[in-house]
Amino acid sequence: MRYWCFRSLALGAAAMLAPAAAWAQSGEPQLVVAVPSLPTPKNVDTGGGQTGVLGIQIAQLIAADLRSSGSIVTIDPDKLRRYTPTEASAPLYRNWTNANAGALVQGYIQARDDGRITVVCYLYDLKTRREMTRAGFAVGAEDWRRAAHRCSDTFHKAITGLPGHFDSRITYVAETGSRMQPVKRLAIVNWDGTNHNFLTQGEGTVISPRLSPDGQRIVYVSFTGGMPHVRVMDLDGGNDRPLLAGPPAMSFAPVFSPDGRRIAFSMANEGNTDIYVVGAGGGFPQRLTTAPGIDTAPSFSPDGRSIAFESDRGGTPQIYVMNSNGSGQRRISFMGGSHASPAWSPKGDLIAFSRWNGATLSIGVIAPDGTGERMVTRGWQDERPSWAPDGEFLVFQRTQQGTGVAWPFTVRLDGGEPKRLAIPQPGSDPDWSGASQ
Amino acid sequence: MKRLLLLLTLVLAAPAVAQPQSYQGPQRPLPPGAPPVAGPVIAIPVLEADLRAKAGSNTVRFARDSYVLTPQSLTTLTAQARWLIQHPFVQASIEGHADGRQTREYALALGERRAAAVRNYLIASGVPPQQLEIVSWGKERPTSAAFHDATWLQNSRVVTVLKQPPQPVYPMPLPQPQLPPQGY
Repeated sequence: MRYWCFRSLALGAAAMLAPAAAWAQSGEPQLVVAVPSLPTPKNVDTGGGQTGVLGIQIAQLIAADLRSSGSIVTIDPDKLRRYTPTEASAPLYRNWTNANAGALVQGYIQARDDGRITVVCYLYDLKTRREMTRAGFAVGAEDWRRAAHRCSDTFHKAITGLPGHFDSRITYVAETGSRMQPVKRLAIVNWDGTNHNFLTQGEGTVISPRLSPDGQRIVYVSFTGGMPHVRVMDLDGGNDRPLLAGPPAMSFAPVFSPDGRRIAFSMANEGNTDIYVVGAGGGFPQRLTTAPGIDTAPSFSPDGRSIAFESDRGGTPQIYVMNSNGSGQRRISFMGGSHASPAWSPKGDLIAFSRWNGATLSIGVIAPDGTGERMVTRGWQDERPSWAPDGEFLVFQRTQQGTGVAWPFTVRLDGGEPKRLAIPQPGSDPDWSGASQ
Repeated sequence: MKRLLLLLTLVLAAPAVAQPQSYQGPQRPLPPGAPPVAGPVIAIPVLEADLRAKAGSNTVRFARDSYVLTPQSLTTLTAQARWLIQHPFVQASIEGHADGRQTREYALALGERRAAAVRNYLIASGVPPQQLEIVSWGKERPTSAAFHDATWLQNSRVVTVLKQPPQPVYPMPLPQPQLPPQGY
């Protein structure tokens, strides 16, 4: 799949970003965005459907995306007037004054000679009557959803100043079979449940997948050969190999650094588990922790300079933070109970975790300096939080009491009811990919 | 051939029988190239039944978060060590597990720590270190399909799993391998 963008206008969009961001943060009522159907110059049958129909579906999807972010209200296509493709780049502002909206989405969809489609989308400020941003993509007709999601991401960034998560993907472990003889397969899916694919076929037990920042590789733990160990493979399933050469050692809890060049992980030896870091291509690992006890679940800060991790050196598992060379190790979680699986937010301001209070496991967040700890979910067993690229949503694994069946759920950081990920079967260990490139 | 089939049936059925079959003592593995008659593959379930009979159990259990061996575990492991010393040709995999209420990474580390505690005790009791290897399954292989807090005790465990020994290198010609006696 290939995309093309209006790079020449990126500067203009960036210049308008600042006032737009202030708009979202000023505590004013939410921004109302009108999303009429995208027109098409000629209704053509494509692999994804007729372009006229796709224009309606893309507009509906953009409206649904923007609405789900919480700070935006949308007016959907069926309540709005239609316009022509030539209007897309030159809106007739006076015709939209009755829409009672603050912003307007326009654009068009066109079939190309090579079988693909062109999707172009614009966002206009109806008060100042100026363009806020635009984006355009040439995609396979069956990938029209991705084009719509990427329009939404562009708009979300222009309105809130933060990248959206609409084109992001979630990798996880699909679970079938019985609890005592589970079949575990790596899978990847768009966050909205579309484009579901298996990456392994259940020949061996696999856990803990994490995507690389560029979304091209995946690091995970496999039990093949009888010893759990970290492996790396390309997203198309090729190039599958152990991270470490040499005799088998028990390694697990892998994660990529934000620049994708390093992988941090845990290695266990004689009852002592420590955190190591190694180049993403392998090599000799550098040991970062030496405390007797269990040091595991590393997570890099977005600037790559710090690592949050879990350690039971103080008696119970708690969250610690250190510099990425292992220096300056300090505990940050003190609220009682135990804390596990830290995940540093892409904005850098929070660390999500899973807290055991003696009866339940739930997801919470804490600032990297240890202040402001609060809980986000109230499940019976919620674990393994992972952040959406916008830093506003979390995906986590929720396990049902009694049956032990687990599903990935997403939740807004500011509360609200967690939503089950729309996947074909139960799953565990979700990991949300970074912002699309 | 008929006799072989009968043997196979008997041996394979052995673990299902409540009373473990009596066992005649340690068995030498077959040299490479020998016909796979009653080889170590078949012997493992019988050996495990014997270990369970002599040591009381192949499993020791732990409290939540704990890797401390209880007095009951020590009794079991002392008997397991005696058995392993008597069977120097049997390789043992010490497999640690944690319960499902642990997070996945911590469960893996805790399982390894429990397995290491068991291995260290067996070595201290005289078992040669090279006879033992450890592995952790974390929370990937529960013994109970139920999923609630009562499963802690069942799933927080270390199991001594007997394995086919690696093919030994024989410095000199071996005597002909002996088939197990009739009625075995």
